[in-house]
Amino acid sequence: MAKRNRLEVIRDILKIIQDSHNLIKLTPLLRKSNLSSNRFYQYLEELIQKRLVVKTEGHIKLTENGKKYLERYSSIVNFIEEFGL
Amino acid sequence: MSPRFQGMMPQLGIGTELIYAFVIILCCLIIYFATKELYNITKHQGIRYFRLSFLFFAIALFFRSFIKFVLILFNSRTLFDIAPRAFAGVTTFIFMYFSLIAIFYLLYSLIWKKDKKNLGIYLMHLLALVITIITILLGNILIYIILNVLILILILYLIYQKKSKKKSGLYFIYLLLLVFWIFNILDIFIPNFLQSLQLIIYFVSIGIFFVILYRVLTKIGSK
Repeated sequence: MAKRNRLEVIRDILKIIQDSHNLIKLTPLLRKSNLSSNRFYQYLEELIQKRLVVKTEGHIKLTENGKKYLERYSSIVNFIEEFGL
Repeated sequence: MSPRFQGMMPQLGIGTELIYAFVIILCCLIIYFATKELYNITKHQGIRYFRLSFLFFAIALFFRSFIKFVLILFNSRTLFDIAPRAFAGVTTFIFMYFSLIAIFYLLYSLIWKKDKKNLGIYLMHLLALVITIITILLGNILIYIILNVLILILILYLIYQKKSKKKSGLYFIYLLLLVFWIFNILDIFIPNFLQSLQLIIYFVSIGIFFVILYRVLTKIGSK
């Protein structure tokens, strides 16, 4: 299996949360994300900082930005690739 | 003022200048605002530098057109002949600074991932500031033009190095954008330079910005 790039990892994490009715605990999210613990927490911190997810009482939820990210994922990837960003 | 700076010769009418400036500034602002949502969702630094570069192109072009407009209106060769020195200096400074910083931001949008400490962008601001001040104080536009050409070569080299499948398209667009941006700078500072080709340069410049705008809008709209 090819190594996922950053945007794909973010999409996968957000997709896992969405598929879990937009509410998931940290442990199952870590397990399903297929990342090492260190990398998972780095990504989680980044997602919270970018306001793609919020952490509430041990649960992770998608924000409106997180939902938009999933909806517009292909546009984002196309745009970044097109202009070499 | 050095004779080397005495080149702000108006060639086309105010109407042509205004239409040219309006169309390109509009294209740049559409690119800037159309990419706002993508940036807000992702906070991707590459998108940030890319969209800011077009905002700075718009600002630079506004001041370029302002200089042209004043020169045509007063039928003068240089802004320093008709305006107080400080005013002429500030206007020229803003045009040159934002022109450089627009190209630097475009460059940085390609290399930001390699700059782990995020210091590059501050260095570029500092460099643009120093080069602009030195160019104005020495009255030597040659330094400024040479630097623009060097940045152009560097950007093309960086795009060439990228392993993206779409680099050939990007390479061609950025090549045209930067070549014609340099023509726009030459058109302001060097007397009678490319005078007979001025209208063609304007048309091609508009065409390049239209192509970039089209590619931005189609990529943003694609699902």
